[in-house]
Amino acid sequence: MQELLGRIHTLDPHASESIRIIACFDELMAGGVTMHGLVAAAAALSGSAAGAEYAGRVVRVARSGEALGADPAAGVRRGHEDDGVRVWIEGDEASARLNDDLLLERLSLAVRMRRDHADRTPPRRDLALLLDPAVPEPDRLEAASRLRLSSEETFRVVLAPLFATWKAHPRGPEDVVATASGPLHVALTRESDDHPAGTPAGIGIAAPLRDLSISFRTAMVAVRLHDGISVEASHADDLGGLAVTLADLAQQSGHEDRARIESVTAHSWGEATLDAITRTTTMREAARVLGIHPSTMAARVDSLTAALGFDPMTGLGRTRLGIGFLLWRVQSSTVLDAVTISAD
Amino acid sequence: MRHPRIDPELRAALTIVGGVFPPTITPDLIPFMRRSYASGPREELLAGLPVTVDDVEFPGYAGARLSASIVAPEGVGGPLPALLAFHSGGMMFGDRFSGMDVVLALVAELGVRLVTVEYRLAPEYPYPFPVEDCYGALVWLADESAALQIDPERILLAGASAGAGLAAGVALLARDRGGPRACGMLLDYPMLDDRGVTASTKEFDGIGVWDRVSNETGWRALLGAAAGSDDVSEYAAPARAADLTGLPPAFIDVGTEEIFRDESVEFAARLWRAGVPTELHVWPGAFHACDIFARHTTVARAMIRARTDWVRRTLLP
Repeated sequence: MQELLGRIHTLDPHASESIRIIACFDELMAGGVTMHGLVAAAAALSGSAAGAEYAGRVVRVARSGEALGADPAAGVRRGHEDDGVRVWIEGDEASARLNDDLLLERLSLAVRMRRDHADRTPPRRDLALLLDPAVPEPDRLEAASRLRLSSEETFRVVLAPLFATWKAHPRGPEDVVATASGPLHVALTRESDDHPAGTPAGIGIAAPLRDLSISFRTAMVAVRLHDGISVEASHADDLGGLAVTLADLAQQSGHEDRARIESVTAHSWGEATLDAITRTTTMREAARVLGIHPSTMAARVDSLTAALGFDPMTGLGRTRLGIGFLLWRVQSSTVLDAVTISAD
Repeated sequence: MRHPRIDPELRAALTIVGGVFPPTITPDLIPFMRRSYASGPREELLAGLPVTVDDVEFPGYAGARLSASIVAPEGVGGPLPALLAFHSGGMMFGDRFSGMDVVLALVAELGVRLVTVEYRLAPEYPYPFPVEDCYGALVWLADESAALQIDPERILLAGASAGAGLAAGVALLARDRGGPRACGMLLDYPMLDDRGVTASTKEFDGIGVWDRVSNETGWRALLGAAAGSDDVSEYAAPARAADLTGLPPAFIDVGTEEIFRDESVEFAARLWRAGVPTELHVWPGAFHACDIFARHTTVARAMIRARTDWVRRTLLP
């Protein structure tokens, strides 16, 4: 796996190996993986044999994952000791890598969690606490002060899948946070000095510390609307008031217009046609965008009207279509799963 | 959590794999995948392995001169059994050393030669180029066995994913053309069926390293518009072969959490019915090619052990 980390770096020099390593160990801990499995992961990631020792028990694993006997004479390139647990990566100094310390710190935590038979989930880290509205406000503000964030300022949440590529990395605190869409890369930016751009990435509306969860939810809407190709992030601000509306609607199931729109998207021409209608003001314009004859467009609109139960081209129907279609795009987005790389 | 059935160690590995090997490969990603899946520098691949490597040429389809490499255990002489290997890469990417770390280790471990082939890739070279290139390698290997110090009775066809589909296709060609008889076929998570109708095909969109869309991209690259139609040869898609009798003994391994699960299991069942000795392993919680991407995990190591054991029994009885 160490070669994979290297490849990540080759494919995107701005990618953060740290975020991957944190996410990897979060999954190992959540999965209740054995001591051997934990040390094997560290060995694979470091490209070298690794070990853990506590209470006289030694677990030593080769980078291939095979168990090794204890070997007190093995050269150690990096070691870490905490709370009765010693962990290390073997090899000579020359093979030491920048992320050895992070690897060992995560391994040490995972080993201690396992040793202590504690609840599988280690205590949540500060950024996750700060973004969770279910956490009492005093605890959230304490997490913020540990992160050295001022309650005088406003911030935006930046959200991206682990594999996102970055034109401009966010500069504030960042971490991996478990979400319903899997582990995601989360960062905070201050309004003033930071213009992150990533593919795909979403930037939420600005909010003070006590209300950061709304920035998180609108960042989720924004990233799910990202086309997966643009090098710019998707900004919740571009949606104005709709950002919060969509964030709220997206949490519910059974939205009537969205369900009808989903049925329309089953047609090969459905999604593109709905998209064109929401971006233009007349049927003629929409037809031009789609590159089809106006009479074909008219026929499609007739089908749409029948399927939707309302006329999507006029009055309130237009609004219903716009919101329903955006909601469908948010809820059915695969941008957090699938990598799309712009041709180069 | 999102992929509850994937083994926890493997789920952790996917946090590292994701982005380097996207689960959903569309045609526009082919150039990216050709860069991403290219094998690393040879010195790194072979570091610490007591082997020698010789680059050779062999006649592929329509006599084209193609490359291959022969990896041999150092200090072991005489005619040896050989693995004739066809690399993975969805028919569209990879080179003769892509994903080959585990197979390379077998050379010294078992004392056998490895012949790995640079077959031509789709879509530039659609069916029948890839399978005919690979068949050409088998014929050449058998013809040159004395010069190459290979025991012609102990040639094992070995492939992973697309390479496994090619291995099965080569075995069918050899049977039907009266060509050289391989002593076995090692089919790792084989890509056998362009029709994509099994239940597991549809269960893993966006999960792992090869999903339904990637599979459609690969088959379409190989077969063009004929993909999924009645107009596809069994040598391109071995699952379509009506008659599996007379094929060499087979080993099939596949994960429970991958699109090829069902077509692999069905192929094994049909091999048994055809009287072909077959060993089948279905690995719980494993995603496609997890032994390549997460070799250090408990599941991958068990997968590799079972496979190595069969190869040893087949090549060194």
